[in-house]
Amino acid sequence: MKYDAVVIGGGHNGLTAAAYLARAGRKTLVLERRHVLGGAAVTEEVFPGFRFSVCSYVVSLLRPEIIRDLDLPRHGLEILPLDGTFTPMPNGDYLWRVNDHAKTRREIARHSRLDAEAYDEYGKAMVEMARFVKPILNMTPPDPMSLDPRELMKLLFMGRRFRALNDVDRYNQVQLMTMSAVDFLDQWFETDVLKATMSASGIIGTFLGVRSPGTAYVLLHHYMGEIDGAFRSWGFARGGTGAISDAIASAAREAGVEIRVRSPVARIRVKDGHTTGVVLANGDEIAADLVLSSVDPNLTFLKFIDAKELPGEFLDEVRRYKFRGSSGKVNLALDALPAFRCLPGDGPHLRGALSISPSVDYLERAYDQAKYGEFSRRPYIDMVIPTLTDPSVAPPGKHILSCFVQYAPYKLASGTWDDEREAFGDTVIDTIAEYAPNIRDIILHRQVLTPLDLEREFGLTEGNIFQGELTLEQLFFARPVPGWAQYNTPVRNLWMCGSATHPGGGIMGAPGRNAALRILGHRS
Amino acid sequence: MGRSHDAIVIGAGHNGLIAATFLAKAGLKTLVLERSDRVGGCAWLSHTASIDPGVIRALDLARHGLEIVRPDVSACAPDVDGRPPLMLWRDPARAAQSIRAFSSKDADQYPKFLASFARISGVLRALSSAAPPSVDEPSRADLFEALKAGRRFRALGRADAYRLLRWMPMAVADLAGEWFESEPLRAAVAAGGILGSFLGPWSAGSAAVLLLLGATEADPIATGWFAKGGAAALVDALAAAARAAGVQIRTSADVAQVAVAGGGATGVVLTGGEEIQARAIVSSADPKRTFGLVDPIHLAPEFVRRVQNIRGHGTLAAVTYTVSAPPRFTSLAALDPREQAAALASRVRLGRNIDAIERAFDAAKYGSFSDEPWVELTAFDSTVAAYVQYAPYHLRGTTWEMERERLAKVTTQVIARYAPGFEASVLGHQVTTPLDLEGSYGLTGGHIFHGDLALDQLFVTRPLLGFARYGTPVRNLYICGSGTHPGTGLNGLSGTLAAREIVRAMKR
Repeated sequence: MKYDAVVIGGGHNGLTAAAYLARAGRKTLVLERRHVLGGAAVTEEVFPGFRFSVCSYVVSLLRPEIIRDLDLPRHGLEILPLDGTFTPMPNGDYLWRVNDHAKTRREIARHSRLDAEAYDEYGKAMVEMARFVKPILNMTPPDPMSLDPRELMKLLFMGRRFRALNDVDRYNQVQLMTMSAVDFLDQWFETDVLKATMSASGIIGTFLGVRSPGTAYVLLHHYMGEIDGAFRSWGFARGGTGAISDAIASAAREAGVEIRVRSPVARIRVKDGHTTGVVLANGDEIAADLVLSSVDPNLTFLKFIDAKELPGEFLDEVRRYKFRGSSGKVNLALDALPAFRCLPGDGPHLRGALSISPSVDYLERAYDQAKYGEFSRRPYIDMVIPTLTDPSVAPPGKHILSCFVQYAPYKLASGTWDDEREAFGDTVIDTIAEYAPNIRDIILHRQVLTPLDLEREFGLTEGNIFQGELTLEQLFFARPVPGWAQYNTPVRNLWMCGSATHPGGGIMGAPGRNAALRILGHRS
Repeated sequence: MGRSHDAIVIGAGHNGLIAATFLAKAGLKTLVLERSDRVGGCAWLSHTASIDPGVIRALDLARHGLEIVRPDVSACAPDVDGRPPLMLWRDPARAAQSIRAFSSKDADQYPKFLASFARISGVLRALSSAAPPSVDEPSRADLFEALKAGRRFRALGRADAYRLLRWMPMAVADLAGEWFESEPLRAAVAAGGILGSFLGPWSAGSAAVLLLLGATEADPIATGWFAKGGAAALVDALAAAARAAGVQIRTSADVAQVAVAGGGATGVVLTGGEEIQARAIVSSADPKRTFGLVDPIHLAPEFVRRVQNIRGHGTLAAVTYTVSAPPRFTSLAALDPREQAAALASRVRLGRNIDAIERAFDAAKYGSFSDEPWVELTAFDSTVAAYVQYAPYHLRGTTWEMERERLAKVTTQVIARYAPGFEASVLGHQVTTPLDLEGSYGLTGGHIFHGDLALDQLFVTRPLLGFARYGTPVRNLYICGSGTHPGTGLNGLSGTLAAREIVRAMKR
């Protein structure tokens, strides 16, 4: 049997691309290596009764177009709000920002009156900036070297939009695209813990520090959700992150997509410069007119395709593409809730994100250690307790603490991750214990995922959660490779549709959607 | 007091002198006011210069005594443990020979790297030789320049064109890592991306600094030449050219204020109270200092805020030694005397690997300097002039007055590690901290480039978006220093381009 399209990888982007193709009448097959769908957006019962959002744990950027087009709520998607960010401080104080604007203002004023005023202005400016950036997310990046007038029009379109901004917005936009998160925030705020917690979002998943140029841009992402109007900033999916993938998979199946799990691909077949299908690890051959790869360029081009089928220059660029995984994940099954020394009790502060980011220097020092090949002895940790919002993921009365931990460099200067895994887990617990001392007594089970585990288990090369670093030189027309940023590849009928393509990682779905629309011939 | 001058230029640094000369050549009666008792500004600080060849021709600097020396060795990286040094000869083939001792792959790559860099420099030079376009109302000339730059960009071919776009925001460590595998070469290349900047080799954007500083000479290592007779010869030539064009230069004339009436600058007031009027006031001082001379009631608060937010944290310090004998680097001992002399006269870079430079930067982020700073030195007869990084302008918990001698001490120790016995040969030393750069040379924050060469502070955004064409919100007040486009090192292009715009504006 021959398919119109085969999609490699059943993560949220692969499923999204498949759904769009099937809705356009293409006979589509999705092949997933693991026993579950979702890729890094997955829910798994790691310990009996505890269903962890193993990797990705919150959602904010899922494109509203996708939610609408695929009618995801009907397929079971329900986003529950994640209210605010709580940052405990070593001096016994805390910073607690919530979605209620007036409340947050009062809280910030407790630290600095000036900052409270600046916070309003900052929020307004960010919303404007997000409005400017948003159309770029749904766009196939232009090729600056192309002579195609349509490509030039795209560049012109962007230039015009920039010129249409007012003076203040232009100034902010230039800064956001190039500056470091801390330099940018320094211009607005004076409270260290506020700047630290805000800037931390700029480093997630990258091998950069909060003072590294290029990290300011991600600050925008926190305001993207607001203008979409779909939900405010960050949230959980009911049933865990895997529920998002399940909803997309359900929509895809309804549109006619065939999905096979436990079907690892071994090779992409290439003949005379174009692909004819894939070969599975068990030797089965699947013929298809189109092949879409939602896995990263390392697997796609260096593992699945014979080097002789690809131009040498292209291969050089693929080899040059930087992954540099920098984070790990620790998932804890808890008997009770953690009690923070600075604000004891199980109040609403536990319902949002809990951020271990007490100061800018703290984050920067964590980065410094990673630069030389060590995991941070005092890492940045972003935690959530999904069970407070969605008790269905754990046995009654029990809780889950999901900890995103940075920095954990894939390449250690000494030792291996297999040797260091438990030490890394202990470091995370020790760090949390400095703020919530009861943590050690309430842990029932712990799952530690190092960058090496992310690579082995989820096929993320070097454990990079975004399928490649989100640095300026790897974005837009250069993602993943300059000249090949339009979801196409040097192999005809082979396309890319994962996080390694524009606009990149996070549970956004935009790469999958953009790629499918590009394949279907929509102009964007 | 009558209007005795058409233009007053504040500051007699290289950009000030060059701008003044071009203004005078255009027939404007021009006066330069210099705060200190000598002209030259930062030209005195720098071992090398890279005045644009077009400017050298236009000002006939050769006739005024400038003689350019391009040493046979562009940079030399000695080792600590007696291994041979890395010698980056100007002749790429000879450099490759030296590199081969470290990696034959790198030796093959090096000439290719230089060639690619040179091609890319062509585009950057084209961008540096015209005023940035107006974003709001691009003129016909702007579009023409854009077209020219666009064609040059396309002419690069895909590989180099993508490189240019990809390299600009990159970390210079990654750039060096893409081409080379041996650490000494990586570190020697990366050093060009950190000079004067609050960036480590692993900081994103440091590759842009390397590209910009190397553009004039189209070389990532030999980013400038030496003037025969040193800085004095260059300064004398610039001053002679200015005087020959009819520029009047007054030293020890400290401008305290720019006089503004009816939204336009009308003259300056010196610290002694003397007022001098002119049709145009041209400041070669950095933007913060320049607008500090203007009564804030004449500036919009938002503009003042943006000026204050221009980033320029100085990190460069200098230690100048008087020595009884040139330093004897263990690593150079095996070379013949001519080669040794050539090595010492080049940029001797004492940074064993990229991580060592990065560690020196780490300390600066937290407001101190490392016990093992990065050092680049050049040795002449009885002088050893060393650049030291990172010496942050803002120290935490101490002051530069307290730390000045400790900086000299750690610098001496670093040099002595490579050249044992160096301490004993030192007869005297002088330390120039970032604070001194501010005090003596008027550089706000001690920043030698008048503000970081960062992606958000370049081209149409240097010094500020909307004011990249040498004008200011105050009519008849212009800026022409390193804080304006292109503003990269001692190339004189900021002064040149500013003069061109000012003449055009004044003829209107």
